[in-house]
Amino acid sequence: MTTNQMNSKTRVLNALNGLPVDRPPACNPTNVASVELMDLVDSHFPEAHRNPELNAKLAATGYTELGFDSIAPYFSIIQESSAIGCEMQWEQKDNWPTVRMTKPIWKSSSDVSIPEDFLTHKDTRAIIDSIKLLKQEFGDEVAIVGKTMGPWTLAYHVFGVEPFLLGTVDDPAEIMKSLRKLMEFTILFGEAQIEAGADVLTVPDHATGDLVSGEYYRRFLLEIHQELEEILPVPLILHICGNTVDRMPYIAQTGMAAFHFDSKNDPQEAMEAVDGGIKLVGNINNPTTLYSRGPAEVRKEVYKALDAGVQLIAPECAIPLKTKLENLLEIPIAIEDWSAERNN
Amino acid sequence: MAIKNKGLALEFEYVTRPGEQKHIGEGLDQADECMQEIAYQLIIGAHTEVGRLTKNALDDGYTANHILDNGLLNGMAIVGVKFRDNVIFVPEVLISARAMKAGMAFLEPILSASGIEPLGIVVMGTVKGDLHDIGKNLCIMMLRGAGFVVHDLGVDTSAEEFSDAFEEHSPQVIGMSALLTTTMPNMGRTISSFEDLGIRDEVRLMVGGAPVTQEFADEMGADGYGENAVDCVDVTKNLIKMLEELKAS
Repeated sequence: MTTNQMNSKTRVLNALNGLPVDRPPACNPTNVASVELMDLVDSHFPEAHRNPELNAKLAATGYTELGFDSIAPYFSIIQESSAIGCEMQWEQKDNWPTVRMTKPIWKSSSDVSIPEDFLTHKDTRAIIDSIKLLKQEFGDEVAIVGKTMGPWTLAYHVFGVEPFLLGTVDDPAEIMKSLRKLMEFTILFGEAQIEAGADVLTVPDHATGDLVSGEYYRRFLLEIHQELEEILPVPLILHICGNTVDRMPYIAQTGMAAFHFDSKNDPQEAMEAVDGGIKLVGNINNPTTLYSRGPAEVRKEVYKALDAGVQLIAPECAIPLKTKLENLLEIPIAIEDWSAERNN
Repeated sequence: MAIKNKGLALEFEYVTRPGEQKHIGEGLDQADECMQEIAYQLIIGAHTEVGRLTKNALDDGYTANHILDNGLLNGMAIVGVKFRDNVIFVPEVLISARAMKAGMAFLEPILSASGIEPLGIVVMGTVKGDLHDIGKNLCIMMLRGAGFVVHDLGVDTSAEEFSDAFEEHSPQVIGMSALLTTTMPNMGRTISSFEDLGIRDEVRLMVGGAPVTQEFADEMGADGYGENAVDCVDVTKNLIKMLEELKAS
């Protein structure tokens, strides 16, 4: 018996807003496009990051080929940084583009300024225009998930990871000033995507437990994230990789709709840590399960997350690009089966 | 000798595993008040102070090796334990690393000129597509401090660059680092390329980085996995021993 009684867009928005759903959505806040999908629709990295038509064509496969309930056209984490002027490495079709963080462009908060062409730059435009195309084609049936980088992640790109983290100890007030100024990029790009038709925004802000403490999250980011939630008028999904259970009680206070969490965190423990304060999206393991194992293991992890009460199911982060298609396809199939079993 | 430095004594309380208490405690037993102060200032990240104390110690007749072993490395051992146990995180480790560098700036020229045989040769790099280097740099600092010669290939290192470095430097161990789950598979590709080139048995390959696990390391076919920078030194020592035994057999 099928469990699909509502369309994908309603399913995702209802899940994010805490309303009833026919089944939990397969919702990807980050990329699910793989090399196989690039070949299938003849739209490859790196061009697909920078050309709106190619971007939309590849992003749509998350819905049309994989059966996810959302389409996320911003594949990486570098579009704004390219528009800001960071040195880029665009790579090839089987590798992620990156910012050359060892060659930072700014040193202090006084350097932070918004380029006049920030929203008309090729690399921000590509996402905005892709969202418009996707909205035209899929607007009523599937949730379009945009993405705008949080100030912490932007700080890594523009200041370099090491100088930025050292700054948090040497001069926290100056770092706060930088974060406040960088937050303007988050708002501008987010608003532009909402205007273009994004139903939801992912806000990656990598204050991960692999780098900084939960107390750091509270001290430097909680208030900023609360403000972002008030300013950006669509459901927001915060994304932070790595160990995050120690900061989940704070994340639950942001007011954001959901938190996209990593497989390093046990789903049951994560549900207890957020204590109903925020929905969870996740957390199928990428490098071991999706990349190296088979559909049976994927299914097991989907069931584990659902059994724990995770409201939206997704890979833990952007997938390795050579992830097997059959493993990605298994995610929505497993959700449907789990839901059918519960309904019977 | 007891820990007379009050700050250091409090820091030592973070060392709770019996084996480590013994190992680090014995190291601190060798340290007089001057070395204990260097260790403590390193732990709290006071880089200017560590530089000044190191220079003064050299002027007072301490050898570079003595200051390295009894001052700087004693401090870093406690930093490593606190980092592993989530008492401190990367920013706090970075300020200690900066303090270590401030001390090493005085010691390195003397150590290099002394002609002491290194413990081994290691090549380190962050894998292709990944530009994160903090973890790798911490490992390199610990390895150099422990007496290894380390060749740093930097970030975004292709399989070919790793194999070229093997030909050029003849290391016993090659270490690969990754921070991103998206780039971790490149560790496996590098290991496969060593197999394809027929050089897999001539070197030991270790992996590490925030998202890397022992399970992933095993699946990729790595010889060793280090959870953190302190671990990396022990793993490297074990791998060199393993390689020597393999070659002897």
